[in-house]
Amino acid sequence: MRKNFRVIKELVRLRFQNLMMFRLGFFGPFFVDGSLFLVQLLVFDAVYANVDEIGGWQRGEMILYIGTFSLLNAVNMVVYFFGVGGIPDKIKSGEMDLYLTKPVSPLLRLSLESINPGSLPLVVMSLIIIAYGAGSAGVRWNPKLFAGYLFWVLLMLVLYYDLEVLIRSLSFFVVSTAKMQKLEEACISLSMQLPGTVYYGIYKLIFCFLLPYGIMATLPVKYLAGECTLPAALYGIGITVLFSALTALVWKTGIRHYNSVSS
Amino acid sequence: MRKYAEIAKAYLKTQLVWRADIIFNMIFTVGRILFAYLLWGTIFEGREQVAGFTFHGMLSYYIINSFLTQLEMSSGISGELSARIRNGTFSKYLVIPVNVEGYFTAMEVGTVVFYLFFDFLAAVVWIFLFGIEFVFVKTFSIILCAGIMILLGLFFMVQLNFFLGILTFQYEEISTFLMIKDNLLALVTGSIIPLTLLPERVVELMRLLPFYYVTYLPSMLLTGNNRQEAVPGIVIMAVWCIVMQLVIHFYWNKYIRKYDGVGI
Repeated sequence: MRKNFRVIKELVRLRFQNLMMFRLGFFGPFFVDGSLFLVQLLVFDAVYANVDEIGGWQRGEMILYIGTFSLLNAVNMVVYFFGVGGIPDKIKSGEMDLYLTKPVSPLLRLSLESINPGSLPLVVMSLIIIAYGAGSAGVRWNPKLFAGYLFWVLLMLVLYYDLEVLIRSLSFFVVSTAKMQKLEEACISLSMQLPGTVYYGIYKLIFCFLLPYGIMATLPVKYLAGECTLPAALYGIGITVLFSALTALVWKTGIRHYNSVSS
Repeated sequence: MRKYAEIAKAYLKTQLVWRADIIFNMIFTVGRILFAYLLWGTIFEGREQVAGFTFHGMLSYYIINSFLTQLEMSSGISGELSARIRNGTFSKYLVIPVNVEGYFTAMEVGTVVFYLFFDFLAAVVWIFLFGIEFVFVKTFSIILCAGIMILLGLFFMVQLNFFLGILTFQYEEISTFLMIKDNLLALVTGSIIPLTLLPERVVELMRLLPFYYVTYLPSMLLTGNNRQEAVPGIVIMAVWCIVMQLVIHFYWNKYIRKYDGVGI
């Protein structure tokens, strides 16, 4: 564990050195994703000017939803997105060899070697949106509520990570995962715009179970709004455990299946 | 003109190489429709109308808007220009005996003509799959106006993306800016929500901008709305195309001298 922390610290230091060489692109992810979530806010502001509620949620809850999704996305961008995103190329090019021969977990190194502090302002912006949404929804913060919300955000970050790694780990078995990644993009884009409360029937099965992007920002907001029932909480924890196990299984099988250069 | 027709033909044939892409592009058009179906399905529960739209009218708007947005494939132009200027291979376009902007316009025509059929097919499939009572205008003059506006809009987007691409001569790295542009365009062209839901003052301001006429107004016209804006819309869009052409002419002559053919 101590060795892993030392490795993480070193990876962060190297990454900072690398980023300083391309200062102009440093805040790129912030501006790109920041504009995306601002557009979302404007869209729902326009919709709520014409209706009172969407799927039982009023304007405040929806702002909380957008803020929470933005926070999940921002932390993902800062911590592991750029590292995990490189997995398919490393498998295809055989560069994975270098990771397997190092005395540190290859997935840990891959996940954390490309941290991107350029998205940190997006974290701040997301917190501002959440604070604004909480004010609009009449949420009264207290330590228990804050700790509960933090728990759900962290748990959903694990789920987000699992899904990202799972999709990219398929590169061990197939030539290209480009279409799977397109599907992932489409699902994230849809879930960013729609809270889990609007899904029903087959859509609920797809977006809350098979590809559970629909629950990622919904559960933390439901908790804040006092709507998170015990079955919903158990479901959220269960699905995260299930996907973590599945991701670990696919990754480990993939590593065994990996036959070095250009597999 | 013949050489541009040949370029268009070549790009039309090129699309056949990526057959899987065609199918996936068709499938992914469902994203917007599904978003509209779920969001507006929830909103319309217990309501007859929202902002003048019925549920099926709203879904018809998304079907047409999604079809037009899918046809608008010019964002690749700015990316291609930017990448080639940065790595020095832009010289390829300078040594062939064609106008560079004309080349990219012909390329866009070839691609759009190819995808026209498949996007239309996808739209028809979604209409049946989601059980949409499709609302479509029956007046020929409105269909004609919408058609002209769509052509002008597609041409304007080619111009805009060509202009943004040549900014690489001056600013070297524009990829972040291009991604922000895509995010904002999704809003101002009405592909996320119909612009009529925005406050009236914002809509009035947008009427002065070209993006209102690229996919939003044609979609509204084809679903039988905003008929009085059809002719003024064509005039405004044509004026924007002329203005954009002048801007391109000015900046092309100014920036092309900076290109040294060795990459940045």
